[in-house]
Amino acid sequence: MKTLKEIYDYRQMIFSLVKKDLRGRYKGSVLGFMWTFINPLLQLVVYTVVFSLILRTDIERYYLYLFVALIPWIFFSASLTGGSASIVAQKDLVKKIYFPRQVIPISYVTSSFVNMLLSFIVVFIVIIFSGEGINPLAVLCLPVIMIVEYMLALGTALIASAVTVYFRDLEHILGIVTMAWMYMTPIMYDKSIVPERLLPLFNLNPMTHIIGCYRDVLYYKTVPQLSGLLSSFILGTVFLVAGHFLFLKLQRHFAEEL
Amino acid sequence: MTKNETVIDVKNITKKFKIYMDKGSQLKERLLFRKRNRYEEREVLKGISFQVKKGEAVGLIGHNGCGKSTTLKLLTKIMYPDSGEIIMKGRISSLIELGAGFHPDMSGRENIYTNASIFGLTKKEIDARLDEIIAFSELEEFIDNPVRTYSSGMYMRLAFSVAINVDADILLIDEILAVGDTNFQTKCFNRLRELKAKGMTIIIVTHDLATIEKFCDRCVWINNGLIVHEGRSDEVVDAYLNFMNQKKVESETAPPEENSEPVTEEPQPENNDITDNNEIDYSANRFGLKYVEIKKAEMLNSENKNVRIFRTGERLSLKIHYHVNKPLDEYVFGFGFYTPEGECLYGNNTQLDRIKVNTEKTDGVVSVIIGNLPLLAGKYVLNVAVVDSDGTPMDFYRNYCEFEVVSESRNMGYFSIEHEWRI
Repeated sequence: MKTLKEIYDYRQMIFSLVKKDLRGRYKGSVLGFMWTFINPLLQLVVYTVVFSLILRTDIERYYLYLFVALIPWIFFSASLTGGSASIVAQKDLVKKIYFPRQVIPISYVTSSFVNMLLSFIVVFIVIIFSGEGINPLAVLCLPVIMIVEYMLALGTALIASAVTVYFRDLEHILGIVTMAWMYMTPIMYDKSIVPERLLPLFNLNPMTHIIGCYRDVLYYKTVPQLSGLLSSFILGTVFLVAGHFLFLKLQRHFAEEL
Repeated sequence: MTKNETVIDVKNITKKFKIYMDKGSQLKERLLFRKRNRYEEREVLKGISFQVKKGEAVGLIGHNGCGKSTTLKLLTKIMYPDSGEIIMKGRISSLIELGAGFHPDMSGRENIYTNASIFGLTKKEIDARLDEIIAFSELEEFIDNPVRTYSSGMYMRLAFSVAINVDADILLIDEILAVGDTNFQTKCFNRLRELKAKGMTIIIVTHDLATIEKFCDRCVWINNGLIVHEGRSDEVVDAYLNFMNQKKVESETAPPEENSEPVTEEPQPENNDITDNNEIDYSANRFGLKYVEIKKAEMLNSENKNVRIFRTGERLSLKIHYHVNKPLDEYVFGFGFYTPEGECLYGNNTQLDRIKVNTEKTDGVVSVIIGNLPLLAGKYVLNVAVVDSDGTPMDFYRNYCEFEVVSESRNMGYFSIEHEWRI
């Protein structure tokens, strides 16, 4: 409890780290912060071209189908891989100054989260301008889905960042793990094509439900089955609590290991 | 919080570090070379306890590696003790690393926000302090320029201004008061005094003993991970200086024979042919007709050891070993103490002291005993010489060797002069 209050006291540090990260990402480029919007927009163009001209699929408006799933996935995988390296990357601060160490992974995950929100602005613009329309009731569920995903991402990032301090290979191992994880989550394909005997595995994967919910809201324009999200929420809570305590334990020796 | 309340309570803390011989942090290395992950455990702190009351300024001193910086890191919670407990009450700010998180491309103003946020200040709190921080740094004109355009002095001034305006209850300072120019330093110290008067508790780690004495009420001396002495600053500093001098003397005592060789290594030309004193090259480090030669000179301390380090007030005996090539009626032996810059501090010889030296021996020793060395701490140079009764140099050794004097006394200058104050 004391730790949580302390992290809250350091909210300005989280805020300024997030700001620094978002502003620093495209620093020095001509278009600067505009890249945050241009980047997803151009990606969308590429997917549209590739999947409507070359790799044609049965799924209608596949570019949108893929895109509404890919953006949340990128947030999650960036939180995991980038988050795992975040403390090592800030070792000068960690070794010299006291602050609650959780601030670093929290800031990293939050800045990835903000990046996702900004990408969603592009998605909404595309959806509205292409005349697809939105279901306002469904969109109201979006914050809940995002919060669940944020919890899951933060929990895993807390664990990964703390363990990476002691075991640097984890960062690279996670690079492969997230790639495999992406293909094990119905992002590029529909869950309906998954072989029956593999389904339990897919249902265990919290990202399956989260991605499914995003797609329900933005692609199918339906209110998602929040019960499917429940297991993700439970798992997110477990990860967050476990991550919190593991981090507390491991952070005691950060300064010596870095 | 009332005065006299204990705000820092350090209870018997220990800390070990693992010193890896060959650290492998990759999976491959961990698995393949399990046995290679040998490490030594070094116990940096072996059980330290002390308490600090509200509004006190306490200095931590000790030589390098004694554990004082580790103690400070444990106080800031950058590291945690292996055993023992540290209880601290209030907000802690540290001046260990100045300018943490400074971004060179951002303006001074933006960096104040970033840096202060690392100390745990909220935006509101920073807003309230902003003007004071800028005024203290004296950087009003430059505050909206990117920090990369600052000189290092300006950078430090900005960083220090943020750190000192955090309004902590406890301030931890590590060896960083050498900030900016003298004026700014004075300003920083005045500010620290103000804060202290307001009840801020301050802990300083530094090698600058003068700072400790001037600023700290109490001082803790740590050696090899244990507290040796704790008490009033001047007393602890005295004891520490005394100990360090003793250590220095011990480590430099009994130098090998080479050390007693003259400082000038270049072979001296054999001037055996010189018979006329007009031909003597007085500018050389060693010159003379060599009718009598100085073989070596020894400097013995009170334990009769040939050393190059002495304490003020110690007994020093200088032994000049000579060899006679061509007997003279009278020999005049002399010595002189010089500064490394070549200024004569004291010089004397047997003739000036009205002592007649005539000897039949071809090899002998002349000693001069200084019962109570009056030189103060510093580096000095010894000259030794032998001349004839007319002052013609026979063997004149400039810069025969350097030696050092250490002292607990903080008098200034070269010599100690007996004195007494009457008030």
